[in-house]
Amino acid sequence: MEFNSINFFLFFVAFFVIYHIFYKRCKIQNWILLIFSYLFYGIADLKMIPVIAVMTIMTYFLGLKIEDFVQKDDKKANRFAMFSAVLCLLPLLYFKYFNFFIDSFAQLFSALGFNTEISTFQILMPLGISFFTFRLVSYVLEINRRKMSAERDFVAFAAYVAFFPCIMAGPIDRPNKFLPQLKTVRKTDYSFLTEGVKMFVWGWFTKVCIADRMGEYVDAVFNNYQDYGALSIGIATLLYPLQMYADFSGYSNMAIGIGRLAGLEVAENFRRPFFAQNVAEYWRRWHISLTGWLTDYVFMPLNIKFRDLGNLGLILAVVINLVTVGFWHGANWTFGFFGLFHGLLFIPLILSGKMNKKTKITWLGGWLISPKNLLKMGLTYLLVATALLFFRSESMSAAFSTIAQCFTGLGSMCNVGGKKIFLFSLMILLAKDYLDEGKFKFSILKTEKPLWLDLQLIALIIFIVIFRGDAVKEFIYMQF
Amino acid sequence: MEKSEILSQVTEIFRDVLDNEEIVLADTTTANDIEEWDSLSHIQLIVAIEKDFKIKFTSAEILSWKNVGEMIDNISKKLA
Repeated sequence: MEFNSINFFLFFVAFFVIYHIFYKRCKIQNWILLIFSYLFYGIADLKMIPVIAVMTIMTYFLGLKIEDFVQKDDKKANRFAMFSAVLCLLPLLYFKYFNFFIDSFAQLFSALGFNTEISTFQILMPLGISFFTFRLVSYVLEINRRKMSAERDFVAFAAYVAFFPCIMAGPIDRPNKFLPQLKTVRKTDYSFLTEGVKMFVWGWFTKVCIADRMGEYVDAVFNNYQDYGALSIGIATLLYPLQMYADFSGYSNMAIGIGRLAGLEVAENFRRPFFAQNVAEYWRRWHISLTGWLTDYVFMPLNIKFRDLGNLGLILAVVINLVTVGFWHGANWTFGFFGLFHGLLFIPLILSGKMNKKTKITWLGGWLISPKNLLKMGLTYLLVATALLFFRSESMSAAFSTIAQCFTGLGSMCNVGGKKIFLFSLMILLAKDYLDEGKFKFSILKTEKPLWLDLQLIALIIFIVIFRGDAVKEFIYMQF
Repeated sequence: MEKSEILSQVTEIFRDVLDNEEIVLADTTTANDIEEWDSLSHIQLIVAIEKDFKIKFTSAEILSWKNVGEMIDNISKKLA
């Protein structure tokens, strides 16, 4: 059930009415949240309900046990927390990577001359497993790090794990930030709720008017790259990061908006990534809830472990972290290469001491970005687009064939409809980001007017209704 | 070694590593309170503290600190 479908609208209206009838009765609201979250998940894939239910129950008890150890014996607590984290990760490893490991080993053995007759079987991956697993792992590790207490209220914990706006594709909320919200009266002040409506509409706009429309062009080129040359492939490569951004930030903004309408603050996921001046800054602005998670649980432990190796230790920690980011997206070497590519781009930044250095955009005359900053933004964008070409490809050989195809000549221009709509919509998106980045007084969708008098919002809704694509399309990150 | 002595020695290390003479540490200080204290300088601080006090922390110890006070307690425990 996509956020931009009629079915979801009806589902949400029912949830919203029932949920807010019980204002100030947190426990009942948590029950409603839990029931609707399981309903939402069950409608998508009923068979997978036992997976999330069993994992939730198991992690609830693991959390209590870890807390027990933390109070008595640090070493035992550490060992048990590691065991618990692995236990939480096992279903993800099985559903997402089992066939990949088997295939890779079979290929390795046959390359070495051994005859292998290992066969794999079809495994259906539960939707959203990459996202709710990370919520569970974060929970057990935070208790062990004494950053939070184990949750006693099972319903609140289960509602956190299955929270329907975020279960399919994030953002990945941290338990120590999200769970306390479920224990208190929900925010219902006017500006908090109306901001939620605006974020939802903005996400809906970038999804249906930019990502879906742009996707038609990008898919047409990449799925038939043999028919095109440098011109169309080049344009598709340059458009794909924008499509991803419009799609995934669209989903995230809709999730944050729905969360706000339930009186809950959901984690930020994007901060105008294409204004980044280098790749390290790009990762501080892109899919923030995932990179923050990996920084805390992969990068930091590795960096601490390798701390006596100096820059080499830092490079190792960064590269391993980014390869993990890559493989998190799926069991394919293309994702691993995508991560490695980014990891290698960090090396010059580490060696020059610029990795964590805050960059500042110079605004000429107060409103124009300086050419030097523009150049850095452009270079970062090109590097990101190149890495995403591998990310988008079905296999490494397909990625290299796509690149090779660019050297066959300019080729023809891919002709699909809707270009004017997505280009116009894209200008609105870029204008909004530009205004927000520059902290100008005027910002699209930040008026103080009541919703029904907010002309910008009304115009945007009318635009969406007229110019959205015909079919409801899945969000890209649902597959991860 | 008294905890107050450890705190003043650690403060000196912070000022040196983060290149900011105005840093004043208290038990409740966290990374949010000092602009230069990020994930990378955190590791540099740990390496410098370990070298200065001739001690070695475990990863679990480092990851469990919530503020400077907990770090000082940990150093004090190691020196005892």
